[in-house]
Amino acid sequence: MSSLLLLTRIGGRPAAFRAEDISSIVELTEIAPVPRAPNFIAGLAGLRSRALTVIDSRKALALPGSPEAPDVRAPVVEVGSHAYALLVDRVDDVVAAVGEPTLPPATLGPAWARVARGMIETAAGPAVLVDVAALIAGPHRAAA
Amino acid sequence: MDDLLADFVAETREMLQAIEGEIVAWEADPADRERLDAIFRFVHTVKGNCGFFDFPRLEKLSHAAESALSEVRAGRRRASSALVTAVLAVIDRITDMIDAIDAGEGLPEGGDDILIAALEPSRDEPDSETIQAGEQAGPRAARTGNTRSIRLPVELLDRVMSGVSDMVLARNELARRLRDHGADPALQGPFERLSTILDEVREGATRMRMQRLEHLFGALPRMVRDLSAELGKQVMIDLEGGDVELDREMIESVRDPLTHILRNAVDHGIEPPAQRLAAGKREIGIITVSARRTGNRIIVAVSDDGRGIALDKLADKAVAAGVASAADVAAMTGEEKLDLIFAPGLSTADTVSQVSGRGVGMDVVRANVEKFGGSVSVSSKESRGTIVFLHLPLTLSIVEGLTVKVGAHTLGLPRSYIVEIARSVSRSVEADRIGDGIFLTFRGERVPCLDLAEVLGLEQEVDLERATFVFLRLVSGDLFALAVDRVLDNEDFVLKPLPPALEAIGLYGGTALLDDGKPILKIDVPGLAEAYGLASHTRIRTAVQERSAEQPAAPAEHAVVFTSFAGRKRAIRMAPIRHIHTLPVSAIEPTEGGMLATVDGTILPLLGTEGRTLANDTITALRLGDGEVELLYAVAGIVDSIELPGPVVPLEGDEMLEGTALIDGVIVGVIDAHGLFARHGRAALPAQRPTCRLPSSDPWVASFLEPLIRSAGYDVLGDGDGRAADITVTLDAVEESNAATAVVRLRSRAEGTEHGPGSIYRYDRDGLLSALARARSGARR
Repeated sequence: MSSLLLLTRIGGRPAAFRAEDISSIVELTEIAPVPRAPNFIAGLAGLRSRALTVIDSRKALALPGSPEAPDVRAPVVEVGSHAYALLVDRVDDVVAAVGEPTLPPATLGPAWARVARGMIETAAGPAVLVDVAALIAGPHRAAA
Repeated sequence: MDDLLADFVAETREMLQAIEGEIVAWEADPADRERLDAIFRFVHTVKGNCGFFDFPRLEKLSHAAESALSEVRAGRRRASSALVTAVLAVIDRITDMIDAIDAGEGLPEGGDDILIAALEPSRDEPDSETIQAGEQAGPRAARTGNTRSIRLPVELLDRVMSGVSDMVLARNELARRLRDHGADPALQGPFERLSTILDEVREGATRMRMQRLEHLFGALPRMVRDLSAELGKQVMIDLEGGDVELDREMIESVRDPLTHILRNAVDHGIEPPAQRLAAGKREIGIITVSARRTGNRIIVAVSDDGRGIALDKLADKAVAAGVASAADVAAMTGEEKLDLIFAPGLSTADTVSQVSGRGVGMDVVRANVEKFGGSVSVSSKESRGTIVFLHLPLTLSIVEGLTVKVGAHTLGLPRSYIVEIARSVSRSVEADRIGDGIFLTFRGERVPCLDLAEVLGLEQEVDLERATFVFLRLVSGDLFALAVDRVLDNEDFVLKPLPPALEAIGLYGGTALLDDGKPILKIDVPGLAEAYGLASHTRIRTAVQERSAEQPAAPAEHAVVFTSFAGRKRAIRMAPIRHIHTLPVSAIEPTEGGMLATVDGTILPLLGTEGRTLANDTITALRLGDGEVELLYAVAGIVDSIELPGPVVPLEGDEMLEGTALIDGVIVGVIDAHGLFARHGRAALPAQRPTCRLPSSDPWVASFLEPLIRSAGYDVLGDGDGRAADITVTLDAVEESNAATAVVRLRSRAEGTEHGPGSIYRYDRDGLLSALARARSGARR
């Protein structure tokens, strides 16, 4: 069974999302920052009649730095009936998974391990298969 | 099979809801055949359905009720209260069973036989006694007919709703672009049509989420019946306005407060029968629950004809409970004392009964109602009765609010908390930083203030010298202010819940999209107050201080409130309004420079149409005048004329508005009449051209003076014209002319004043014009 994946880069590393987790991809033009919000929340963006919460994926992984030219395209995911847009370094492509996800190796590091469903082989090489709910929960949840 | 079962459960529940009111009405009037039939049909349908699904117990119960009722229908048995109670018990059991079936649990065990036995005629109920049937009851009002309906998942409705909201946003965006690009009339027409249709669709979609209040009312008669039986009282309930529609979710939210108010009315309001008789009232107390819609609010009133609220007793209790001091209470007006009923921990009942109990009081009712944007008020006459009003917004998800700007951020404040807005520059407010806090002195009262920029952790504090202060009153009665950079506008917020990560901040109560599609956050006012320790748990002190601190009122200014063509509520001061006209659209002419309209033979500029096409045959227009110039302002409808409460608070960002005023709890933009005349007055012609009499015999007058005078805005009358002139101009006149009118005297020679010291050289243009103006104002006086 080969399923489709959305391949992106977060913090320079390949990160894959299951296509069924992604409801759409939007172009973010304007993000209204939210005062006092945790830093991995970049702000709010309007998508038609909905407000999207924009998640800075790097910060959600507690990765340092920011991408040089972040992609204006952002995958939109829905978790618990709320819509989130994910800021990633780059939205690459939709690719077919090769085989089933395997358990994440221990060398992934704690930040990535927290959001990883596993490793997945794709035609474009291996990637971390990202658990969307864990990603949008931000780095603080892990600490707690 | 599962689908069928789900349908069965849903259908039975629906019937149950509808039937509750019927039963009590039937008990009150056992001869009402129609109601009896309705109840009979219900048990009959349940019996038929559950035979199909194999629920033998349910079938047995409904069968027993059916047979008992059919006896009554056949006239062999009387609908005694014992029978009604028994039928009610059966219906309750059916409800329990349906719940159990729905939850997939086993049916509650046992007890059916007792219920069935209760349906049998008892000995002291002579079953031979027949009832005089129907005739006496007289014809009933026709029941609401069965409308054709289908069942839809709410989720689907929500999807349609959000689709329509998307369309509205897209429409607004398109409208903006059309405006910016100078719309092609060929586009404008179809666009307007699309826009109108969309508004209709939106209204329809909104109504899909609406439910008739009947759904809520249905359960009330039963509740009142049970309660009054328990308390040994006799109460009749009268329901009005069941056809008023309310958002489904709102109906659910209002259920508890309404139930509580009704309990209070039965328990504390209505007296026992003996007391009522002694007071010269009918034995049976009447509680009326009525609903009506006014504008975009629903008012539900619960009135009883019971003992009313004894204000002094209430005040004594408040003092005893430590809610207010004796001095406070002594200074209170009746209304303020009545307001004590909302103080926490107060009950008007002498004894704590099982029904209304202790703990949950009117304060909780108020808090709950205000939570969803409503409000509660009470009016009461001792020994005559009490009315509790619930003011409810039409939907839960739309909140009226104010957008404010702090730094780069735009935020929303819900309107229901806002009592006043004041600007620092108006000097009516003094702001002092004391310690880490800010305190305002406003109308002699010291009000704690939060710098919203600080609250939000922004780098730049709000400049208190130039800030706008929004005064907010909490449910508890506490007043505090928020300092913001600017107040932008009122908007209706369509609120969406926050994702958990944002909710955890504790500052925000939801997100909303503005008309232009930009997302904003709504400030959670109670949460904010709680976080900064501004919410106390008593509400009385401020109310009293407020009164004593009030300044002697300035003479009230009157204003007319109207709906603008853009659908907004606006107010305009009464002073410039001369007349309200209904104009045929044929009298209106669009020109390059704007709309013109003919009224009473004069042409006046018509403002306020805001570029909309005029859909009706006539429009309503306010004729405004500043004494010199007149113009027309088109309105979509006149709402009311009112006294302007409090000052008009300046507003930035809309040049049409002088500011905003809080009118009946709604923020209304006040039209800047001065600005209107400043911008458009030049184009307008004076209402009535003043007249000027000239000596027409003189050729110089005819060829030189007359054109000048005309261009200065006067109608020229010749010598022969019999009409009275406002001003008379004479040239080298020897004799004094008619002294009743103002006279401007001219002389032919530059020097010499032989024709009196007041004369003006005929080529002294400035002198002539200013003399005319002087004479004219003198003439008018």
